[in-house]
Amino acid sequence: MTDDERARELTPPSAPALRLRGISKRYGPVVASDNVDLDVHHGEIHGLLGENGAGKSTLMKILLGLVQRDSGTIMRGETPVDVHNPQAAVALGIGMVHQHFSLIDALTVWENVILGDTGKIDRAAACRQVEEVSRRYGLPIDPTARVDRLSAGERQRVELIKCLRRDPSVLILDEPTSVLTQAESAELFTVLRHVVRAENRAVILISHKLAEITAATDRVTVLRKGKVVFHSETSATTPPELARQMVGRDVSLRAEGAALGMLPVDGAPAPADPGTGTGTDAAAPGTAPALRLRDLTVTIDGVAVLSDLSLDVAPGEIVGLYGVEGNGQSTLGDLLSGLVLPTSGTVELAGRPVELDRPGALHRAGLGIIPEDRHSSGVVLDMSVAENLVMKSIGDVSGRGFISRRRMHAIARRLAAEFNIVTPSMDTPVRSLSGGNQQRVVLARELSAGPGVLIAAQPTHGLDVGAIEDMYQRLRDAASGGVAVLLISTELEEVMALASRIAVISSGRITGVLSTGEATAERLGMLVGGVAA
Amino acid sequence: MSAADDISTILSSGIRLTVPLAFAACGEYLAERAGTMNISLEAMMLGAAFGSVATASATGSATTGLVAGVLIGLLIGFVHGNLAHRLEVNTFVVGLVLNALVLGLTSFLITISSFDSHQVSQVSVPWLRDIPLIGHPLFVERWPVYLLILVIPLTWWLVERSRWGLELRAVGEQPQAADVTGIHVNLRRRQALLWCGALAGLGGAYLAVGEVGSFNQNMTAGRGYIVIAAVIFGAWRLGRTLLGCVLFGLADAMRLALPALGLTLNSQLLVVAPYLLALLAMLVFATRNREPKALGQPFVRGST
Repeated sequence: MTDDERARELTPPSAPALRLRGISKRYGPVVASDNVDLDVHHGEIHGLLGENGAGKSTLMKILLGLVQRDSGTIMRGETPVDVHNPQAAVALGIGMVHQHFSLIDALTVWENVILGDTGKIDRAAACRQVEEVSRRYGLPIDPTARVDRLSAGERQRVELIKCLRRDPSVLILDEPTSVLTQAESAELFTVLRHVVRAENRAVILISHKLAEITAATDRVTVLRKGKVVFHSETSATTPPELARQMVGRDVSLRAEGAALGMLPVDGAPAPADPGTGTGTDAAAPGTAPALRLRDLTVTIDGVAVLSDLSLDVAPGEIVGLYGVEGNGQSTLGDLLSGLVLPTSGTVELAGRPVELDRPGALHRAGLGIIPEDRHSSGVVLDMSVAENLVMKSIGDVSGRGFISRRRMHAIARRLAAEFNIVTPSMDTPVRSLSGGNQQRVVLARELSAGPGVLIAAQPTHGLDVGAIEDMYQRLRDAASGGVAVLLISTELEEVMALASRIAVISSGRITGVLSTGEATAERLGMLVGGVAA
Repeated sequence: MSAADDISTILSSGIRLTVPLAFAACGEYLAERAGTMNISLEAMMLGAAFGSVATASATGSATTGLVAGVLIGLLIGFVHGNLAHRLEVNTFVVGLVLNALVLGLTSFLITISSFDSHQVSQVSVPWLRDIPLIGHPLFVERWPVYLLILVIPLTWWLVERSRWGLELRAVGEQPQAADVTGIHVNLRRRQALLWCGALAGLGGAYLAVGEVGSFNQNMTAGRGYIVIAAVIFGAWRLGRTLLGCVLFGLADAMRLALPALGLTLNSQLLVVAPYLLALLAMLVFATRNREPKALGQPFVRGST
C-alpha cells in the first residue's frame, strides 16, 4: 500500500466527494430535474434509481457538462464548481461510463483511451498505460484491437479503462449492465467494489433494475419525475419499498413486478396465470407452427451475425427470444421487417415460404412487427396519428389514387379507442405523443391487419410502468386470440413473465430452448454465455 | 517526333493536369474524414483561380497571386464551415449555393475586367531532368508542384498520426461519442474545412497562375467534383484518392494530345472521355465500407 492510498483510507468516509444542491433543469414545459439535492461520498457506491424519464440521465449530463443546469450548485467538497463542458468535468475528476458507450468503433483500443487528452500522441506509452490499468483492475484487453471487433463486455472494459486511467474521484456508470451477460456484470461489480473499497473513489450507479441496486450499492437515491423522492442506506430498505418509491404507488401487478426486476429470477417462476393464453397448452403438440424460421444465416461484412438460426412459434403461443443486446436480435428484427435479406435459410408463415426479397411480402403473408427502434422503423414521427395508423392498409382508405380523409379518420378513431391511444387529435404528429402512446400506435396498426404472427422486438423499451403493463396485456390478448407471438427481449423478467418457451440467443445462434418451468437464472445464464445447457 | 517524345509530352501534361486535383484531393480527403461532405470544393478552386489571376495582375507577382488564391480558398472554407457547422445549415445546400455563387460571380467579373498574364517560375532539377522519358515531365515544373511533395505526406501524417487527426477521425465517425469524450466536434470540422479550403485554393490558383497564366470562365470545369468522386471511390484512403486524380489527369492529357497525334474524334465526346473514364475506373475499385460513418451528418449536441 502506498502512502497515497493510506492517506485516502484515513479520510473519514463521510467526506462528501460531490454535493448537488437545488439542481433544476427544464426543457420547455418538461421539468427534467426539479430542485435535486444529492450527496455522494468517497468510498461508497451510490445507487441512482428511477424509471425511464425520471431524470437520472439529465442529472448526470449536468454533472458532466453536457447539459447546462438552469439553477443550483455543484460542489466538490466544500467548493462550488462550474461544469460548463466535458473537459471541465474531467479536470474535476468526474468520469462516466455511458449507457451507449462513448467509444469510436473505427479506432483502436489505445486510440479510444487517449481520445480527449491533449499533447503529442505516443502510441507506445498509450499501449503501456492501457496494459497497466488493465492489469491493475483485472480487465484484460488487447490495446491494439479495433473496437468494432470487440464484444459488448470487452467494450465495457475499454470504457472502464478509459475512465480509470484518468484517475477520477467520482465514477458514474449509466445502466452499465444492460448489454452485459451475468458473468460480465459480476466482473464489473467486482471492479467497482475494488475501486470503492481499496481506492476510496465514489461511484454513482444509475439503474432501473432493483436487484442490481440492492445487491451492489451502499446507499440509494430514488428519482421520480425529476425529483428526489427517497433516500436511504441500501441495507435499511427493501426492494418493494424502492419499487413503490420509484413508481409512486404500490406495485402489486405481476407485469409491473417483472418490469421492475422483482420476479424471483433465481427460483422457479410462478406458473403462468390461467386464462392469459400464455400456457403451453395453447401450443398443443401437432399444431403446425405459424412462424417457422429455418437455418437463417446472415453474413454482414464477412461476419456471421446470425448463424443457422431455427425456431418455430405455434399459433397462440408466446415464445421469448432472450439474450444480451448485440447478439443478433436486431438483425433478426430487421430480417423480419424485410430490411435485411438472409444469406441463406427461409422464413415460413403458416407453412408457406415467404419470398423475402419482395417488398411487403412478409406483411402480406400475415406478419406484424413491433420494431425495436420505433422512431426509425416503427412510426413516421412527423406524420399524423391517423396516417401512421393506416400506413400499412392504404388500400382500405383510398380509391382511384386518392385518400379518403373521412375513412382514414374513421378507422383511426376506432383504433385509438380500442387501443387507448391518448392523443389530442387524429391529426397530431406522432412525434408529440408519449413513448407509450407511440408504441400503442404501432401495436394498433400491426394488430388491426389481423396478423397470424406478431414479432415484438423490445416492445417495452423506454416505456413507463403503466405502458409496460398495458403492452403485456395486449400481447397476452393477442396470443389468446390465436396469434403466434415472438417476443425478442433483453429483459429476463419480461421473457419470464410472458413467454411459455424461452429460446436463448448468443452470438447469432440459438443456444437452447427451455420451457419457462425449466428455465432458471443459472441455466439461462449459461446459455446466454454461449454454453449449451 | 518519336514515340518516346509523344509519351513524354502526354506524361508531362498529365502531371500538370493532375497537380491541381492532387492539392484539392488532400484537402477534401481530410475534410471528409472529419465528416464534412464538402461540395464547395469547386467554388474553392474556381474562386481561387480567379483571385490569383486578378491579384497577380494587380501586383505583378504570380506568387502573390498564388497566396491570394489560398486566402480565397480559406475564406470559402470559413464561410462553409460556419454555415454548416455553427448555424447548422445543410452542408449540401451550402455547397451548391457557394458553387453557383462563385461561378456566377467570376463569370461576371471576367467580362468586365481584363488581366495581364502572369505565371509562376519554372524550376528544373539538374541531373534528374535528364532521365529519359520521365525526367522532363517530373523535374521541369512550375515550383508550386514541388509543394505536393510536402503536402501529401503532411496530410497523411496529420490524419493518421497527429492528435488533431485522431480527433478529426473520431468526429467523422461518431460525433456524439466524440463530444462525450470532450472533443469540440463542430470546431474540429470547421478546422478541417479551413485546411481543405487552403489546399483547394492552392490547387485552383496553381491551375490559373501556374499552368495557364490567365483566367477563363468556369475554368475548373467540374474538377472539384472529380476530386470529390476520387475521394469517395478511393474509399477514403489518400493513396487511392491520389491515384484517381492521376488517372483523370492522364486521361485529360490524352484528350489534348490525341488531335496532335493525328487522331480525329468528335471533340465534344473527347471532352467527356476523361470524366467517363475516371468514373468507370473508380467504380471498379469502389468499396463503401470504409466511409466515415457520420459523413454529411450535422452534429447537434443532445440529438441522438
